[in-house]
Amino acid sequence: MLSWFLESVWLIPLYPLVGTVVAALWFPGIIRRTGPRPAGYINALMTLVALGHTLLAFVALGGREPLGYSLPWLQVAGLDLSLPLLVSPVSLAAMAVIFGVNFLAQVYAFGYLEMDWGWARFFSLLAFFEVGMSALVLCDSLFFSYMILEVLTLGTYLLVGFWLNQPLVVTGARDAFLTKRVGDLLLLMGVLSLWPLSHTWNFTELAQWATQRDTLAYAEAHPQVFFLLGLALLAGPLGKCAQFPFHLWLDEAMEGPLPATILRNAVVVLTGSWVLVKLTPILALSPGVMGVTVGVGVATALGAALIAIAQICVKRTLSYPVSAYLGLVFVAVGTGHPQTALLMMLTYAVAMGLPVMAAGNVLWNSITQDVRLLGGLAARRPVTLLCWSVGIAGVVAVPPLGGFWSWLQLVTDLAEQSPGLVAVVLLVNGLLTFGLVRVVCLIFGNRPQPMSERSPELHWPFILPMTVLAGMVLHVPHLLAVTGLLPAWQRDWGLLLTLSTLSGASLAALVYLSPGIPKPVRLPVASLQDLLAYDLYTPKIYRLTVVGLVDLVSRISDVLDRYLVDGLVNLVGVVTVFGGETLKYSTSGKFQWYLFTILVGMALVVGLAVMTFLN
Amino acid sequence: MQLNYFLLLAAALFCIGIYGLVTSRNAVRVLMSVELLLNAVNLNFLAFANYLDPADIKGQVFAVFVITVAAAEAAVGLAIVLAIYRNRDTIDMERFNLLKW
Repeated sequence: MLSWFLESVWLIPLYPLVGTVVAALWFPGIIRRTGPRPAGYINALMTLVALGHTLLAFVALGGREPLGYSLPWLQVAGLDLSLPLLVSPVSLAAMAVIFGVNFLAQVYAFGYLEMDWGWARFFSLLAFFEVGMSALVLCDSLFFSYMILEVLTLGTYLLVGFWLNQPLVVTGARDAFLTKRVGDLLLLMGVLSLWPLSHTWNFTELAQWATQRDTLAYAEAHPQVFFLLGLALLAGPLGKCAQFPFHLWLDEAMEGPLPATILRNAVVVLTGSWVLVKLTPILALSPGVMGVTVGVGVATALGAALIAIAQICVKRTLSYPVSAYLGLVFVAVGTGHPQTALLMMLTYAVAMGLPVMAAGNVLWNSITQDVRLLGGLAARRPVTLLCWSVGIAGVVAVPPLGGFWSWLQLVTDLAEQSPGLVAVVLLVNGLLTFGLVRVVCLIFGNRPQPMSERSPELHWPFILPMTVLAGMVLHVPHLLAVTGLLPAWQRDWGLLLTLSTLSGASLAALVYLSPGIPKPVRLPVASLQDLLAYDLYTPKIYRLTVVGLVDLVSRISDVLDRYLVDGLVNLVGVVTVFGGETLKYSTSGKFQWYLFTILVGMALVVGLAVMTFLN
Repeated sequence: MQLNYFLLLAAALFCIGIYGLVTSRNAVRVLMSVELLLNAVNLNFLAFANYLDPADIKGQVFAVFVITVAAAEAAVGLAIVLAIYRNRDTIDMERFNLLKW
């Protein structure tokens, strides 16, 4: 009986697909009378079914070898595209996290979208993401991973653009689509140029191919090929994971509905790093690419952690840590530790949804998202405060919790290779802690502000998923211990990490809770504060470089098309019309003129004939 | 006397007729130029009949026909001129340019 669940794993992405389709029935234009709520309930049910199936399959798989299936898709001359599925403990665990977080986010959305009519569209898209993400972790092919990433990019566009009557939503959705699309397109270049080298897109076979002696010799002989290939393959995850310089979209994606943000911050951004982890063997063929990966990761981790500290929007203080944390995942991959990256992704995915949920709890009935206008909620919102703190503790390095172990593993891995990177990781941990604790202090500490004067705790659809998720976060170390994933305890590094977390947290508490420092806090260097608050002026940089260039080129080509190409064709017509208009005056209406032309014509013909005869 | 001279004279007469035909503003003078052309043609017929075909003189027969048809044509031409004159009160060729573009 249990083995059936394992054999039918391919069914799992189809459950939410059913939800996607069925939810569409409750569009306000189709079922007009009874409201959109069943769309949400059906989708939550389908998620639960998928979660149950996943867990049963996990039990059935036990500790056995990963199972591989192959579904035929398309066979054309010389190209056999079949969809390989790999059912491994890792992919099943990833699916369990995806469906678990999704279910909680959906229940949360029951409460959050209470006064919204767009349940059908919202839940349909949410289920669409479930389909894409579960298919991504199941499929074992770079080609199909690329297809799913593209589909999810479209999903992001539609989900961020949910409340499309707001102008900032429209621009945010546009940027989210285009930025991720550029990364995906570069990834497509990499995917296509990988085929003639490896003749396979199957991740398992790619990993084998990348370690063959022939391949290594070839890579040694042609470093540029693998450098460019690696860069193209890196670009896809770069856009998906909101890394520098493709990070602006995540900031603007915070315009979307908050339950979707839970999902995006916790899970969706991990789709990129999932593919990145799977590509590690190929990236490792070029030391240059590994260097770039580490460089991007370090730059994003430090930059985004600093930017997060300078934000005043609650949702944005939680979006830049996403980029920063994923930067560290990039560092882990770039230094050749994909297992560490997977562990980081697991602990992060479980924990990161929690601060977003807790923030949504505050935002839902405090209206404002400006941390400067909130305060003094600790006494009245104890559950939210507790869950938020647990979420932060689960993300940064706080000893018994899950996040600590992945940070510890990362630091242990890096310690052998480069002390500089360890310093970066410790610094990022401190900065992340500072930024995350700062928000909690500002919202829950101090005296109530006008906007948070009356702020009751919310009803069950908000509290239930949040507390359940908090419980899950608290149980992550136990789960790690049971599955044998718990890294070995390293006393020195553990203490250093704890110290960096403690110093970040206590510094934040000191700055934002003590009445001695005037609020809002101003740095001595105002320009630096503005630089960080405005995200290093990234929109301006985009507009000046890429957008400006593309805009200019398209304007020029439009002018060329309008005037040169069109003009040349139109000139032919104009000349013809002009010829007709002028030549008609040869018909003068005078009889003698006609006679004259006849005679001239005859004279010419006779003259020509005579000339030819004489010659 | 040679055939050439007759032909040259006829050609000269034909050219004078053409000149008059194209340049005259008076419609009657156009008809008169047409008569000059026909007479130049007749001169050619008679010259050819005399020098090349003295036995059968088919050219002279042709010339008789041309004179006859020319008379009829002149009659019809004058009738047309008269018809136009009755409508437009002029026989100036420059005023008959109604059928243009």
